[in-house]
Amino acid sequence: MKTESNFLIKEENVFCGALSCRGCGWSLLVRHISNVMGTKTVYVVPACCFSIIAGPYPMNMLKGTVVHTLFAAAAATATGVRHSLDRQGKKKSAVVVLAGDGGTFDIGLQSLSGAAARNENILYICNNNGAYMNTGVQSSTATPMGAITTTNPSGKTSNAKDLMGIIAAHKIPYFATASLAFLDDLKKKLEKAKSLSGFRFLMIDSPCPPGHKYAPEMSIEISRLAVETNYFPLFEAEDGDYEITHFPKKKIAVSELFKQQGRFSHLFKTDATKLMNSYQKEVDTEWEALLEKVEK
Amino acid sequence: MKSELAIKITKVKEVKRHTKKVLKGNTAAAEAAKICKATFISAYPITPQTTIIEEIASMISKGEFDAVSVNMESEHSVFAAIKGAALVGERVFTATSGQGLLYAHEVLHAIAHLRLPVVACNVGRPSYPWNIWCDQSDSLAQRDTGWIQIYCENSQDVLDTLIQAYKISEKLLFPTLVVLDAFYVSHTNENVYIPEQKLVDEYLPPRMVSDTDIDIDHPKAFGGLVAPELYDKFNRLFWQDMNKVEDAFNIVGAEFETHFGRSYGAIEAVNIHAGTKKILITLSSITTTARGVLQSNPDVGLLKIRLMKPFPKKSILKVLEKVNKDCILIAIDRNYLGDNEGALMQEIKRAMYGGSRKIFGVYAGLGGRDVPPTTIEKIINIDFNSPETEEIIWIDK
Repeated sequence: MKTESNFLIKEENVFCGALSCRGCGWSLLVRHISNVMGTKTVYVVPACCFSIIAGPYPMNMLKGTVVHTLFAAAAATATGVRHSLDRQGKKKSAVVVLAGDGGTFDIGLQSLSGAAARNENILYICNNNGAYMNTGVQSSTATPMGAITTTNPSGKTSNAKDLMGIIAAHKIPYFATASLAFLDDLKKKLEKAKSLSGFRFLMIDSPCPPGHKYAPEMSIEISRLAVETNYFPLFEAEDGDYEITHFPKKKIAVSELFKQQGRFSHLFKTDATKLMNSYQKEVDTEWEALLEKVEK
Repeated sequence: MKSELAIKITKVKEVKRHTKKVLKGNTAAAEAAKICKATFISAYPITPQTTIIEEIASMISKGEFDAVSVNMESEHSVFAAIKGAALVGERVFTATSGQGLLYAHEVLHAIAHLRLPVVACNVGRPSYPWNIWCDQSDSLAQRDTGWIQIYCENSQDVLDTLIQAYKISEKLLFPTLVVLDAFYVSHTNENVYIPEQKLVDEYLPPRMVSDTDIDIDHPKAFGGLVAPELYDKFNRLFWQDMNKVEDAFNIVGAEFETHFGRSYGAIEAVNIHAGTKKILITLSSITTTARGVLQSNPDVGLLKIRLMKPFPKKSILKVLEKVNKDCILIAIDRNYLGDNEGALMQEIKRAMYGGSRKIFGVYAGLGGRDVPPTTIEKIINIDFNSPETEEIIWIDK
């Protein structure tokens, strides 16, 4: 029996031999992205796990052009590439940024904001695994409160940045969240993003076994749980009109998601009720806020 | 001495196919970007570069200049965008100053080592203590990034040098930084002879797209991780080609003269002969002041460095061959870079290594401090043969 991903992928635009860890979200994700985007795509990649996964010089795991660029400069480099391809009449090509959360939430935020505000004709995809995983699990501003990283060995004490809120404030034509556990939804969003022009942004919740501390075979299950607990809701917004693309059938406590990951295990060694209650409250509030945006 | 200066000006007058205009250095830079047919420009404003990008924006909006111009949100992004555009094969241009260039430092390395023929203008100003006036510490702090650096004396020089910069960059695949002095050149009006478009086109054909540029029909990866053996090899190849720049730049200058009638090279030697007792070594607009002072000091020579990076050691040694060994060299530095010697003094000492010539370094005019003819005279009149005269001197106390 073919797996769902093989069924969805009509055109395999990824070569074998990717240098990713077992259970890595990145290598699953780029199969689906490249399947939708096709080979006439320029992928701009700032420093992130994918810079390594894509292969060192002179290798290239993607059937498409890859421009490795500086950590802070993905959206700016993509700006130059896009305008130049347009100038040369290559309008059918696509320019896609493949960035991690560090290159998006932190060091790359300025160039991301600049390109979004200029409404550059770029698809920006953030593979959010919630820390600097490539350099060995240091905290980023995408790291959730409480998670252990090598730079917050007792657990992070501040909230993750609301990047989708920042993106929404730029009033770009399209932005969405997507998950590797919901491949049909991911594909639809990629196809919609491809069909539109202007600045488009996709945030992918990405599983990372060595960073989140769980067994590689759990990657998809944990990604699914993140959506089903409303911790990572699936939505999209075209021209500011929000739509939720998956409604969980039953309510699952967010603690069920945290229990699966070693990075939160210290929270459960003592009574975690208070912290989990506050997390649950926040997740519920965010979900309510999202529902309100849809109703507007 | 007067004759050499006079010849230069007369030659310009004889040249056909030029329009004479009165332009500021910054306007000359904008005009040069247009006549060199740059196709992609990204920019971020900083004093005193602003009028360059304003004039380019104005020409594009009036339809006089056919290029894409993107207003970026920082100089780091400006240089990242031109890096992306140059990778696709466009002829790119930008301009910056001081802090802007320092902020883009990381990208300068990447552009050089991707071997992109980028041309950028820098209107030299310092960073801290906070100051917006003429100084060369910004660009000279980028000496190790792998960019060719050329320093301009006046508006005509800015226009002509930018044309030559595209020529040398596209010939050897290195980026070039063209430097002009804040205010003394950037905001000073001077006569400029602008060549007609066809003349520029004959000298500078459109940039050739090569198989090292992005071609979406033939996908490749650019800028991936490089293993130690390859890193070492790529740098050796870079070094080999960089060592060709001085000769190639002299050829570019000679070709420029046959097309445009104005003579250029890596250096310019004025009044340097067997009887020269002292030689002032200068960059940029201080040279103009020194030219004037030389008229009443026949035993003083002037060596203007145009090509600062890579430093034109061969051309300098050749000029000094005919000079008596007792002739003293005086490097004038309008920059302080955290060491005893200024950048020009460091480079001259390096070039003269193993020789016995006396070399002195003089700091003058930092942060826009005026260097009038009296200051140049004060430098010339230092008793360099006194044992009490230090090797490094600050001319103004």
